Amino acid sequence: MARDKLAELTRRREEVLAGGGPDRVEKQHAKGKLTARERLDILFDPGTFTEIQAFVSHRCRDFGMRAERAPGEGVVTGYGYVDGRLVYAFAQDFTVMGGALGEMHAAKICRVMDLAREVGAPFVGLNDSGGARIQEGVDALNGYGSIFYRNTLSSGVIPQISAIMGPCAGGAVYSPGLTDFVFMVAGTSQMFITGPQVIKSVTGEEVSMEDLGGAATHNRVSGVAHFYAVNDQECLGMIRRLLSYLPSNNLEDPPAVALADDSGRTHPGLGAVVPDDPGKPYDVRDIILPVVDAGDFFESQAWWAENMVTGFARLGGRTIGIIANQVKVLAGSIDINASDKAARFIRFCDAFNIPLLTLVDTPGYLPGTAQEYGGIIRHGAKLLYAYSEATVPKVQLILRKAYGGSYLAMCARSLGADMVLAWPGAEIAVMGAAGAVEIIFRDEMKRSDDPKKVRQERIAEYEEQFSNPYRAAARGLVDSVIDPAETRPELIKAFAALSQKRETRPAKKHGNFPV
Amino acid sequence: MSTRKFRVTVDGEAFEVEVEELAGPGLPVGHGRTDAPTPAGRPEMALGTPPPAGPVVPVPRAAVRPIPVVDAPRKGDGAAPRTHTPPGAGVGERVEAPLPGTVLSVNVKPGDTVKAGDVLLVLEAMKMQNEIVAPRAGTVRDVGVAKGDTVALGDVLVTIE
Repeated sequence: MARDKLAELTRRREEVLAGGGPDRVEKQHAKGKLTARERLDILFDPGTFTEIQAFVSHRCRDFGMRAERAPGEGVVTGYGYVDGRLVYAFAQDFTVMGGALGEMHAAKICRVMDLAREVGAPFVGLNDSGGARIQEGVDALNGYGSIFYRNTLSSGVIPQISAIMGPCAGGAVYSPGLTDFVFMVAGTSQMFITGPQVIKSVTGEEVSMEDLGGAATHNRVSGVAHFYAVNDQECLGMIRRLLSYLPSNNLEDPPAVALADDSGRTHPGLGAVVPDDPGKPYDVRDIILPVVDAGDFFESQAWWAENMVTGFARLGGRTIGIIANQVKVLAGSIDINASDKAARFIRFCDAFNIPLLTLVDTPGYLPGTAQEYGGIIRHGAKLLYAYSEATVPKVQLILRKAYGGSYLAMCARSLGADMVLAWPGAEIAVMGAAGAVEIIFRDEMKRSDDPKKVRQERIAEYEEQFSNPYRAAARGLVDSVIDPAETRPELIKAFAALSQKRETRPAKKHGNFPV
Repeated sequence: MSTRKFRVTVDGEAFEVEVEELAGPGLPVGHGRTDAPTPAGRPEMALGTPPPAGPVVPVPRAAVRPIPVVDAPRKGDGAAPRTHTPPGAGVGERVEAPLPGTVLSVNVKPGDTVKAGDVLLVLEAMKMQNEIVAPRAGTVRDVGVAKGDTVALGDVLVTIE
């Protein structure tokens, strides 16, 4: 090979690697942000990232773009290994034209998306972009559309993960919105459809970028984001951690890891976490942590719809998805956001062969006009649909209250639970004793000389009859009533016995999920 | 065909005009549009009765609250220490009733110092003694409720600064 040809390659490589140049890199660092290549180095196992299509360049000739150099087209794409497993990724380079998306920038992203889907490897997008490259007009728009289309094709085939590590506005938000999980970095990331200036001119509202679409807003208020990281390093570490629970595609099982815990480990204090008084709250994570392998629980959307807890853990070295009522928030009632959150989590798990564990302690649906007018009927239906639709192993564990429709919505036998376990304190009934007595014995109480006494007697009678797991067990709706101390070994046994579950469903194009 | 009267002003001069709608080819009826005209000579499209206007929904203002510090250590994610100042810090923060209920007990008074996660009061709702906790550390500026009070969704319970 002629020496000058190699020199030419080196020169071209160096030009791409330099990105927007040292000044812009320094600016990026001054904002507390890493560069695209630094981020990819942290995301992947050391030295495993391989860049592709580094020499792609735009072909825009309008508005002074003819002379504009955009090394790497403002986005780094390629593949590498996370814990030794293949992952495809792109990282937008804010130092090159503000990471703006044009025709060829989008084409690079589409190329890695196609590769990821065709080989069945997870896809990670690190977003840091000022938006569409306006000079390219409709070519840039078409680029966004091509990405959305591929996000949708890949949905349910490979895990798709988005990290917002800078601005992400307008059309750019919808690729993350279509992916399975969205990470946001505090202080440096914002997502919104229309920015503060447009909002002010149209509605008169004044709002800062951070309050409108910062990491706290989307993790606490809108539910758009699933994970909150304080800086780039933490964000990338959390993505690695999430990937550790997930299979590479929908045809694989989640990776089994070497068991870091004792499968037979009992926990004598576990039953006492749930107070006997059904009116006393507790933190359901105090049940989850002692039960799962090594207390390792990775919570998704931890700050939004906190009355429903969702997250990944392992039992016996195998990934499970956990859905649990959180009694210490809104009494553990089910509302619009909780239904939405749980349903999307369940569908992800089902798509990727992750068994579901549902922990039940709920008094019912949250009453109120805000809920009814907000459409709790159609949103609550998502939960029923998602559980019914899921064909992965489904285990329901009833800790305490399981009343009425909310008992069904939390993966009851009738929605296809494969194994239903209950603690001895479980109350499985149409409703709480006091409420039930008011309805059933209204006439008797009215006729009585001492309605209070009748009420007390009837409540005691109802509680004895229904406020226990044995009525449901007698109908076969509960498979086993277990000692709380033995929850961990019982769950591990149950999931092991279900691991080869196969279930076929009627062929259809797709169901009509109540979105 | 109905006749309607209109007043039209042209260059400052008012005219009263009578307008009669005549039969004609009409406009196509829009799918599901109740305001589309009915084509003349055809029976009224069965569009059903339009639903009455819904009540004005009081939407509780969703306050942007800071992400509290995680109590349970999160393992294995290589987390850097959480040293950032949470958004919204330094502004008086209103703790609102997350659901309607009855105040069972009030644990703080104005001037008290609280840590994030401290129980400010207990609100009985959905037959549950819901602990209302401080979203962040600070000083209690105002307590808006007393034991036995009934509160509605979104009522301000305590203000912390």
